[in-house]
Amino acid sequence: MKVLATYSIKGGVGKTTSAVNLAYEAGRSGARVLVWDLDPQGAASFYFRIRPRVKGGTEQLIKAKGALAAHVRATDVPGVDLVPADFSLRHLDLHLDGTKRPTRRLAALLSPLDDEYDVALLDCPPSISLASESVFGAADALLVPVIPTTLSARTLSQLVRFLDEQPGSPLVLPHFTMVDRRKKLHREQLDALAAAWPAFLAATVPNASAVERMGVERAPVAAFAPSTAAARAFHDLWAEIASRLWPET
Amino acid sequence: MFTASDLSPADITAALARAGFEVARPQNVRRTLLDTFDGRLHAAGLRLEVREAPGVELILAGGGRGPAHVAAADVPRLAGHLPAGPFRARLAPVLDVRALVPVVTVTARHTEAVQRDGAGKARATVSVYDRLEVEGRHGVADLPAWAAEVGELAGYAKAADGARDLLVSLGLRPGTGDVIDVVATAAGIDLGGFAGSPTVALRRDEPALGAFRRVLANLTGAVEANWRGTVDDVDPEFLHDLRVAVRRSRSVLAQGKRVLPADVRDHYREEFSWLGSATGPARDLDVYAIEWESYVAPLGAQASAALEPVLEHIQARRKAEHAALATALRSERYRTLLAGWRTWLDDPAVNAGGGDSEGAIGQVAADRIGRAQDQLVGRGRAIEEATPAEELHELRKDAKKLRYLLECFGGLYAPAPRKAFVQRLKALQDNLGEHQDAEVHAGQLRAISAELYGTDGVGPHTMVAMGQLTESLERRRQSSRDEFAQRFAAYDTKQTRRALQEVLDSAAGPAQ
Repeated sequence: MKVLATYSIKGGVGKTTSAVNLAYEAGRSGARVLVWDLDPQGAASFYFRIRPRVKGGTEQLIKAKGALAAHVRATDVPGVDLVPADFSLRHLDLHLDGTKRPTRRLAALLSPLDDEYDVALLDCPPSISLASESVFGAADALLVPVIPTTLSARTLSQLVRFLDEQPGSPLVLPHFTMVDRRKKLHREQLDALAAAWPAFLAATVPNASAVERMGVERAPVAAFAPSTAAARAFHDLWAEIASRLWPET
Repeated sequence: MFTASDLSPADITAALARAGFEVARPQNVRRTLLDTFDGRLHAAGLRLEVREAPGVELILAGGGRGPAHVAAADVPRLAGHLPAGPFRARLAPVLDVRALVPVVTVTARHTEAVQRDGAGKARATVSVYDRLEVEGRHGVADLPAWAAEVGELAGYAKAADGARDLLVSLGLRPGTGDVIDVVATAAGIDLGGFAGSPTVALRRDEPALGAFRRVLANLTGAVEANWRGTVDDVDPEFLHDLRVAVRRSRSVLAQGKRVLPADVRDHYREEFSWLGSATGPARDLDVYAIEWESYVAPLGAQASAALEPVLEHIQARRKAEHAALATALRSERYRTLLAGWRTWLDDPAVNAGGGDSEGAIGQVAADRIGRAQDQLVGRGRAIEEATPAEELHELRKDAKKLRYLLECFGGLYAPAPRKAFVQRLKALQDNLGEHQDAEVHAGQLRAISAELYGTDGVGPHTMVAMGQLTESLERRRQSSRDEFAQRFAAYDTKQTRRALQEVLDSAAGPAQ
């Protein structure tokens, strides 16, 4: 199982949108996918129409190895399951702090499901905290959404600097989101950032009304608007990620 | 799976609708289970299904929590045709070079009913299949008129239980498996594939003639089973398995002196020798094509690209040799061989004719195995650094002969000691096989170089790369040769003799 995390220090950059749509594309491409909604807002759970509830609370979930399986819910997307979030996740840092090896805790919770899924996709809240370090300890790659603006690029630099200091850090795969090519600033930033960061994935997610409609439809974009530019972008993005993760095939 | 009730499918879907399920319009569906001829996916606990309704979807179940789904343009035949990514990554190591073939195809009318919660999220599904038919089989007597499946979704066990309770309350009878299992059982289709084991159940005290005939009949079954796939060149394993069954038959015939009637034995030794020779060139080129990547990859990308014309040449020759083999397998000589052989093997009037034919197979097999081991060790000990390569080839044949005897008469012995001994023998065989393949392929490459020299599209880069490849194969051959003494010494030990004695002293379990 490859563990991916949609992660950014900054909020509102499209982490959950990326997680939900990439999970859909991964499932459609023949992967068995587990989305783990780690954001107390539970937006990924909402998009998949799954009740945001961590049975027994986050503390119970974090405590026992093997506990994750009991929280898995099938989504309506074939091949995609989800562990829902709820508000008790706001204390994730606190509960992790009470465990023996907090930065390895999420990896330990995922390990019993290693043979059951091809991809685990962790949708993370915006922060840099103990929970983030536990995500870094579990993830093979961080999928980092970046809006082509100065502030968003700055948080990518901060993240990479932080990870450079950590041994065994995951691969960082940034990708552009909410791109509006009518804006000169976006066009300039796209060129400048892509030149400065060769790791940027080529596919860019546009700032599109189809993405905004996800909240109304409560489904990934391609499920209700498959021929839109946004749906194609997530499809291409996943194809790029998959070619990095399974290069031999 | 639920079947059998006085109700019609329409009654069932109406009852589901009354219980709050959303019932979709019925759709014709075609579900095909794919596996390799020898059932590798089944053995690995995997299940690959093609669902056409009307788009093509591949569904891979087993080895995890839920099935994986992927749309496909065509029905895949080889691992390389599967969608790239985890789907292919899971299947490719299991399939290896084997092709996917349809095991069973079910056509039906499918009506899906979905129970949803307040947010519109599916909690349970019920699929009702009617107008069931097995493609290619008419008049399957036990085929149910219709069947219903409950789809249990992870985390919604209670909803699935509720759907099952509803079906039971309507008078439906629960059973195991899904609609494909039910239909395959009714049609008598074994989803496990062709086992092709050379081992048959034997009793130590039974007369040798009958035991030899049963062993040979089993091997003939493998030849017959692999005939179609070899003729159609479906994948290289069909030819491999057919060839091995022929070689095993030849080995057992050779060991059948004073057991089998001399005229029968002489005639079929000659005929199986012809058949074995007919399979040789195509198999050599199959191995070449399979090993090609491992041969050229170490030479680098540039040399690999320069060697493309050589690969094309090998593929063209492989195709021609397969066509020649298909002609041989369709020939009158082949038909006469198989028909006559089957007639003799199945003839109840064949009686023991003296010699060892009435002796107990336990003793006869032990004698033959002991002799084969002595011959192998005797020849191996005589091999020195300067001994020509042909002697190693003969030694390889000796090793195969011993291995075939242990496999074909394996029904006399306990599996554990037999497996332990075969592991020792296999270590020696692997070394001899590597040596032989490198020797044959280097020789073939020299011949191909001569053929391609000066032809269109074969420039100096290709000729240089062929030189590199020949050298590389020569190094492989030499490395196997250098390793031989050590491998043989590891085999020619007291422990090996003891391990073989343990096999011969062991008794087959009650299942035998």
